[in-house]
Amino acid sequence: MRLSMEKIKGFLLDITGVLYESGSDGGKAIEGSVAAVQRLRDNGYAVRFVSNESQTTREGIMNKLKKHGFQMIKEEIFTPCPAVLKIVRERDLRPFLIVHPDVLPDFEGIGTSNPNCVILGDAVGDFTYENLNKAFRILVGQEKPLLYSLGKGKFYRENDHLTLDVGPFTAALEYACGAEATVVGKPNPEFFLTAVRDLNLQPNEVVMVGDDIESDVGGAQACGIKGILVRTGKYRPENEQHLIKPFAVVNNLAAAVDFVCRL
Amino acid sequence: MLRVNICKRPFSSRIYTSTLSIKLFEVLCTHCRGLRVQPMAQGPAGVMPPFPSLSAVLIDLSGTLHIEDTVVPGAVEALKRLREVIPCVKFVTNTTKESKRVLFERLIQLGFSIDQSEIFTSLTAARSLVERKELRPHLMLEPEALEDFQGIPTDNPNALVVGLAPSLFSYEPLNQAFRLLLHGGTLIGIHKARYYKRKDGLALGPGPFVTALEYATGVTAEVVGKPESSFFLSALKELDVKPENAIMIGDDVKDDVLGAQKAGLIGALVKTGKYRHGDVDRFGEKPNYVFEDFPQAVEFIMLNMSNTQPS
Repeated sequence: MRLSMEKIKGFLLDITGVLYESGSDGGKAIEGSVAAVQRLRDNGYAVRFVSNESQTTREGIMNKLKKHGFQMIKEEIFTPCPAVLKIVRERDLRPFLIVHPDVLPDFEGIGTSNPNCVILGDAVGDFTYENLNKAFRILVGQEKPLLYSLGKGKFYRENDHLTLDVGPFTAALEYACGAEATVVGKPNPEFFLTAVRDLNLQPNEVVMVGDDIESDVGGAQACGIKGILVRTGKYRPENEQHLIKPFAVVNNLAAAVDFVCRL
Repeated sequence: MLRVNICKRPFSSRIYTSTLSIKLFEVLCTHCRGLRVQPMAQGPAGVMPPFPSLSAVLIDLSGTLHIEDTVVPGAVEALKRLREVIPCVKFVTNTTKESKRVLFERLIQLGFSIDQSEIFTSLTAARSLVERKELRPHLMLEPEALEDFQGIPTDNPNALVVGLAPSLFSYEPLNQAFRLLLHGGTLIGIHKARYYKRKDGLALGPGPFVTALEYATGVTAEVVGKPESSFFLSALKELDVKPENAIMIGDDVKDDVLGAQKAGLIGALVKTGKYRHGDVDRFGEKPNYVFEDFPQAVEFIMLNMSNTQPS
């Protein structure tokens, strides 16, 4: 177990369910997480935050986390919105957006008339039959339906309830059109690797800490990053029987930092 | 293999390539008004699969007997004639919105002579599954369909029945459904159609939402409507007829025809309703029979029933 351990130089941290539990009241920091992030920085580990959060802009996420006591700059946060915007600009696309109203500012200046693709984010209350139907009609009229999904998470925890994420709605449109969505965000390897490159490290020098066995742990391990599963957030005991075997399963972020520091 | 005996008179046959550029074998009967049959996926050209002794006919409704409020020309009379040779008939349909009573009243209105007990829908199939498993379902159905579940206990639900319920296919109701499934509820899909035709265009069917819940929970839905084998077999069970002695006639190549063939029935596609050019070839496996419309299918069945099969 020792061989590659000493090489860990960087951390990718999921946000929701690892740093804090979300809630309509702004949520609350998970015990020990603020100190754990500080400890990583004090010990010289490079840190990036990789999240499929698509309800808030990066500024919004940063401000929320700062309120909970976390120290970070906006540039350390990797979310799907900037990544999909890059694609939209490069390909000159006109998206039909089903996204949370709070991230609409990110899409300012993007033409959306006569749409030729669909972008699906964590739209919460905007996941209505009529909206999904509009998206379906655009896609079904295309020879090669162009559907972008900001992450494809199944659900997350909010206010002590498990709540549907964007993934099920993406799966619905995929089934309806017989097409596969392009997932922008975790578990897409390109998303992890963008953050790893930003750290100036190799994948095997990096640990990803998350509460989603498939999207966080599975996605990271598929591109050579070690995945640690925490028992917070959306974690459910049956995750430990999953085919995906994490590098470690620990109680929370503080324990994950302990674990890596002791290697 | 038997050569189909369209009628006792001589018939001519030829191979031709259709506009679909697939080879079809055409039997042109010189006697019975040029009845044209386009077989046969299986079997070499000129040879049709044996036509069985039929005991039951399953007939799709919308698109086969009628299109919205219009009867397919000749369908009312054809059904009457069919009953003279085959008394066991079931009208089988994937509906998640309309109760048996509503369907029955529409058919009567259109002039068909049927009995309400002859209608077998995906709602009927869902109800019998719920009863058999003694489930207490949360019903994700539009109010019109609830009638078919009268008397089923729904308090403290341990199952979810999903039909076409646009008014419930939004975030909060889906979240409630999702949580019920996470607590171990059984998921029953009335059917899994991707979309349906609405007056203003195509609209999402129940399939995408069943899929969404499956994706979120890892639970696999038990789907009860066409094209599931269990659907056709349940309908036949009510008639006490074996699948090999039954034919299914419908306009949906996948849900009606190939579904029935998979369950062991004979499948017959009619080119009315939702039939689109190219459907015969769309899914690899081909329909056993293709007819212009329901009356032509009936004519073919009657000719085969009234002629002794050569051995």
